[in-house]
Amino acid sequence: MLDAQAAYRSFGPALVRKAERVLRSRDDATDIVHALFVDLLPKWNADMDLPYLYRAVTNRCLNALRDRATRARLLARDGTAVAPAGRVKLDDAVVGTALIAQLADSLDDAHLEVLVCRFVDDMTQDEIAAHLKVSRKTVGKRLDRIRDAVVALRGAA
Amino acid sequence: MTCIGEPVSWLALERAALGESDGAVAAHLAACAACRDCLDRLRADVVVLPPLRVEAVRPRARWWRFGIAGLGAALAAAVLAIVLIPPGDHGRPDQVAAERVAHVKGVGDVVVGVVRDRAGAIAEDATVFRAGDRWKVVVTCAAPADAWLDVAVVDDTGAAYPVAAAHVACGNRVVVPGAFELTGARPNRVCAIAAAGAPPPRGTLPDDAACITIRPE
Repeated sequence: MLDAQAAYRSFGPALVRKAERVLRSRDDATDIVHALFVDLLPKWNADMDLPYLYRAVTNRCLNALRDRATRARLLARDGTAVAPAGRVKLDDAVVGTALIAQLADSLDDAHLEVLVCRFVDDMTQDEIAAHLKVSRKTVGKRLDRIRDAVVALRGAA
Repeated sequence: MTCIGEPVSWLALERAALGESDGAVAAHLAACAACRDCLDRLRADVVVLPPLRVEAVRPRARWWRFGIAGLGAALAAAVLAIVLIPPGDHGRPDQVAAERVAHVKGVGDVVVGVVRDRAGAIAEDATVFRAGDRWKVVVTCAAPADAWLDVAVVDDTGAAYPVAAAHVACGNRVVVPGAFELTGARPNRVCAIAAAGAPPPRGTLPDDAACITIRPE
């Protein structure tokens, strides 16, 4: 088992790249990963492997996008992120920070997590099911609900 | 370049980059140039993480036990310093610092630093290199300015520009996108060239470049 410092050195870069794909800002991504490890240090345990930390980073990124001030700042920035965007598209569109931020107002955490897994982290439905410890059917239903929310957003625009 | 099927997820790619083996992922990577390219980009990327410091709760120091001895030692060290260091011989650290700072019109003071990635071990402002090390340049300049930054690596044969010029918002140790390697048996000067408004011209190293010298190990 890696201790927290070793895990930070080993997994930190992967987690920063993951957060950067959501937020499109390496500085904010680095802050999120650093803050996560600072919080986890006192309660570090063997369960905190890369997939666990990946989920934790997803949740922190979503919290950042829910915060209106952070969201406005992120969306106002130029897209200068080093990390590439997700390759899996939703209705032929790349899911970017702006769309996730908009959906954060209409979808709950469970759906947003599936959204990030599928369209930012490019996981298959089977991978998402294993990653989130839910059934594949549940993942499929959540993806349907996400598509409905996107259609509703586009209809409202 | 597009994937031949379902792209390998970023998590699976990161695990592959960390050396975890997965037969299905390996088979896909062997057949898919697009996903292989993604993995190569992950491997080439250098992430600069701030140190993770543990704030330990210090026990109350029983300073009086060591106070008198400590005071004596400090006094002796001060006397030695006065005797052994000639007046005005403080130039070397200042010269090193001066080389790393440039004053750029429209940007202000620009301080260059580097980050070395040696097989995953990150060292900030390292001054020795070895084949295979990956380097990134970091720059400190005062917010809210922004700057165009270019990186020049200068050796006996001239200057090379290993990364694309980038437009960045100033801050503490802002990372210039892109990484590079240093080669050869001679020292290299890694210089950050900053300019306001437009990418700095390449060719001749300007006087206001901020440089750090890195020597072969």
